[in-house]
Amino acid sequence: MAKSDGIHILQGLLVFGNVVIGMCGIALTAECIFFVSDPHGLYPLLEATENDDIYAAAWIGIFVGFALFVLSILGIIGVIKSSKTLLLVYIILMLITYAFEMASCITAATHRDFLTPNLFLKQMLERYKKSEPDNNNDKWMIDGVTDTWDKIMVQNHCCGVNGPSDWQKYTSAFRITHNDADYPWPRNCCVLDDQGSPTNLDGCKLGVPGYYNSNGCYDAISGPVNTQAWGVAWFGFAILCWTFFVLLGTMFFWSRIDY
Amino acid sequence: MLPGETGWTSLPRGCGQRWNVGGWGRPGSGGDTELIRPHCCPRHPGARTMLPLLLLLLPAAACGQDPRLYTPALSTLPLGGLTTTSTFVLDQPRCAFPNSLSDAVIWLVVAVPEGVPSFDRTLEPGSPDRAYQRFPANTSAYMTLNTTLLNYPCPKADGEISVLRVGSETSCQGDNTRPTCNGPLPGPGPYRVRFVAWDNSGPVAETKWSEPIYLQKATPQTSIPRKDRGHSAAMIALTSILTILFATLLAGLVAMLVCWGSDACGVSSTFSKPEAVTVQRYNTHHVYDHPPSRL
Repeated sequence: MAKSDGIHILQGLLVFGNVVIGMCGIALTAECIFFVSDPHGLYPLLEATENDDIYAAAWIGIFVGFALFVLSILGIIGVIKSSKTLLLVYIILMLITYAFEMASCITAATHRDFLTPNLFLKQMLERYKKSEPDNNNDKWMIDGVTDTWDKIMVQNHCCGVNGPSDWQKYTSAFRITHNDADYPWPRNCCVLDDQGSPTNLDGCKLGVPGYYNSNGCYDAISGPVNTQAWGVAWFGFAILCWTFFVLLGTMFFWSRIDY
Repeated sequence: MLPGETGWTSLPRGCGQRWNVGGWGRPGSGGDTELIRPHCCPRHPGARTMLPLLLLLLPAAACGQDPRLYTPALSTLPLGGLTTTSTFVLDQPRCAFPNSLSDAVIWLVVAVPEGVPSFDRTLEPGSPDRAYQRFPANTSAYMTLNTTLLNYPCPKADGEISVLRVGSETSCQGDNTRPTCNGPLPGPGPYRVRFVAWDNSGPVAETKWSEPIYLQKATPQTSIPRKDRGHSAAMIALTSILTILFATLLAGLVAMLVCWGSDACGVSSTFSKPEAVTVQRYNTHHVYDHPPSRL
């Protein structure tokens, strides 16, 4: 009877493990849907850097989360009925889902490392308010980068990636069409009033503190992107560690079933 | 107010916040001469711009110094645009010229350092040899930002920010009819500047030459390194741990399938599915109760 009790305990643990996997799957889906919806509007910047695989990782996370939920239900049924077939199907499908989730986590973690200040700086200087698009795709990216930077600079009261000096230290597409004396930095670096015009244009051009934004925008960009990358990567990692133990237990349980 | 000046003196001075920027744009050139008011400026009682001479002669101590002792310099204020790639910001020459020069015109001379030793002070401002448009290719210096001492009142009121932005007029950059244009500087420099006072008889006073002023130099954005990314320790740990776990699971799956195929495992401690089993007790051998009489 002790053996049967042991098996019952294992069954109970496996059911509990699968319940947790199911709930985590739902949570992963919800988290990844939140990230894909891009509440901060930073996707055009990443798209322009051609490093938007963090969004690909989030998309995979949506489907993996849902698959985990469905498979956990299958697992619970299989464990309760002690059916070798059901559990074999469960294990194989879980391993496939495991592989996809692994890919998502590693992609999110790796691509987060690519997002350095210089990457955004290059994109900003090359594309912000560029007047001669090379092709339609370039025009799409130019519009995305320009609109996103305009919005970021106004909402976060910042200018450039490291500061307004970015526009002085480096040449840029912006500088080609906007001369330095009238536009040492873009107008959106100025403190704007409610109508969207600078409160003091001379003050902004001179760089008087209080009339222009002297901080860089890198923190405002990298904060949300890092949260997204780490959210997808580490939550996925936690789920996979838990799933590892549940799957090992299921394999052991499966080998102990006898028809 | 001299012709050619835009009206920063026409705006009311009074207690309130004040900030003077000399831009000398033509009306409608971009509003360089707006007045902003950051601090309260105490003025002499009854001081008005229409009575400059008398009031400036009131005992106001260090007014009217020797211009030969004054060195023009970049503003000491923490301005983000102190030097850009084509403009720079100077302190106004307050208390640099004596009050006796109140009807002279103060000009700013911008020169390349090579033109300083051979600078000809008798060349008239506005002449072709002192034209902005011909600088620096055909002339080593140009003169701009002309005004009178009215716009450089002495003493400087506390809290007042008084600066001159050199290079702010872009509208007259190519206009040869405006040789005294305060146009953007053509290169990163260096440049040396001085203030001179001219009246009808010629140059009457000069300040010292400034130190060489260097402007910002823009490096090409293609020189920004793209491949400066590394791999963080967290990402390496995550990848390796996940790979090991996945490999373990695959090994487990293989072991399971081998087990299943060969039926070799779990025979000793298996359990049956909990189904209803009835056990019948039955005799395997015929066992009769032999009577003891058979012996």
